[in-house]
Amino acid sequence: MNRVFAIAQNTFREAVRNKVLYALLVFGIGVILFALPLGQMSLSEQARVTRDVGLAGIELFGILISVFIGVNLVHKEIDRKTIYALVPKPLHRYEFIIGKYLGIVATLLLMVAIMSIMLLAVLFAQEAPIESTLIRAITMLFVELMVVTAVAIFFSSFSTPFLSGLFTLVLCVIGLSTDSLRILIKKLPAALQFVAGFALRLLPDLRMFYVSGTMLDGRWISIHQGNYVDWSYVALATAYGMGYATVILLLSMWIFSRRDFI
Amino acid sequence: MSAVLKVEDLAKTFILWEKGLVRKKIRAVESVSFSVEKNEIFGFVGPNGAGKTTTIKMLMGLIFPSAGTIEILGRRLIGHKTVDIEAKRVIGFLPENPYFYDYLTGRELLDFVGRLFGIPGPERQRRIHDLLDLVGLGRAGNLALRKYSKGMLQRIGIAQALINNPELVILDEPMSGLDPIGRKEIRDLIVQLRDQGKTVFFSTHILSDVELICNRVAIVVGGKLRDVGPLDKLLSPRLLHTEVVLETAGERREHRLPPTEDVDAFLLRALSEGHKVISVTPRRESIEDLFVREVEQSDTGMGAQHKLGREARP
Repeated sequence: MNRVFAIAQNTFREAVRNKVLYALLVFGIGVILFALPLGQMSLSEQARVTRDVGLAGIELFGILISVFIGVNLVHKEIDRKTIYALVPKPLHRYEFIIGKYLGIVATLLLMVAIMSIMLLAVLFAQEAPIESTLIRAITMLFVELMVVTAVAIFFSSFSTPFLSGLFTLVLCVIGLSTDSLRILIKKLPAALQFVAGFALRLLPDLRMFYVSGTMLDGRWISIHQGNYVDWSYVALATAYGMGYATVILLLSMWIFSRRDFI
Repeated sequence: MSAVLKVEDLAKTFILWEKGLVRKKIRAVESVSFSVEKNEIFGFVGPNGAGKTTTIKMLMGLIFPSAGTIEILGRRLIGHKTVDIEAKRVIGFLPENPYFYDYLTGRELLDFVGRLFGIPGPERQRRIHDLLDLVGLGRAGNLALRKYSKGMLQRIGIAQALINNPELVILDEPMSGLDPIGRKEIRDLIVQLRDQGKTVFFSTHILSDVELICNRVAIVVGGKLRDVGPLDKLLSPRLLHTEVVLETAGERREHRLPPTEDVDAFLLRALSEGHKVISVTPRRESIEDLFVREVEQSDTGMGAQHKLGREARP
């Protein structure tokens, strides 16, 4: 466990010393702050706009940061040959993957925390009520980023950074559009419906982490009204996200433990 | 003597897909066998592309062998796609052209590696201090690695290879890219490690280094082991020629006498003719001659089998 923690800490240190990460964070904070002038244009709906724009900003830039560091930090070890000094140490290869993942997740936690504090500060400045619904929404966004990171690490365990980034982003777009895709699949011929439906089930359903403004179990869910999902739904979504990330990471470990570092 | 490292019939075949369609097998290493005894400096010599780094990567668990076994102090290192991490605890390794995390300082790198070995905090800090002094980086310990010169990176690489106080130190091309002073420093360090009771296995294509410090060498050419044993046993004791340098009226001239010629008679004749004898050097086979001989034999296919994978002549 000490070895995993050492790798995780080193990964965190590498990530927080990366300037690109800060550029993405600044953009993320910029989007949240943009909610201030945007809110002023919408009469008496300032807090509503801030919450929507802020959460969307955390999700968008969180995904970009996840993909960027998830893809880069694993592949860079191979590309820069630092792995040649690491694998010969008394370390299981799966420990390397777990350590990398935990280091990246810790970095994401810090990034999401900074953006969330900015969002709460903006809401506070607008004298809007700060409710626990916001904490539930941010918790689920963070779980979503944990899934995206696992997918990014999976692709980068066998592919180039460009392709890994591309595949992960495509999977994110699909994962965020599962409801529309399900409607499309229903229009396909019966045989294809089964195959496409099965394939869709294998992909991460990211839509379940961002539920405000969507239909859930036949009812309209909104973070601005009193009908937002409760903690039991958050626990369910977290269990799904953690389960999905675990399976993907197990696959990454299996691939990584069998490959030659030529 | 007991074997610290024992390699038997080690082989690696890479499978490449040309244009994604044609399957091509590349035999990088073929049936390599040798053993490294306790407290010796063992040189692993071969031209570029001979299979030295592939062999070392197999020893370090970076590449899985296609066949063969590797034993470290009697423990089998590699199984089927598995590596015994307990066997790795006694090894220190410096990769070729080492790349480390350039955002770390030298001290942070050693601390990170020490943690991977599970060395407790106070002990780790003591070793970091001692190792930085040993490799002459005591003052550069807090400098980011991106600011290190090639020689400094090589030295911090050796320091990280020694953090676990290993019994076996494996160095892949440790003198590569260094100036003569840097090479001498690394050579001295290797001898110092041997004097401390460690076993050193290092690969190189710089033959003079091997001649200076190795107890035994293995020569690998084209993925095959051509010879292994003590240098004095591998090198032919036969006199190749004698080089005599004479000076006449301020002008120096070198004479190369065949082994059949009487050197004493040649020198007496030269002195009687008024020449001044500057030097007389009998030339026997050097490791470079041996190396060229082995490479040439490999190229012509001669003797490809006669020494393959066995210890050298007694």
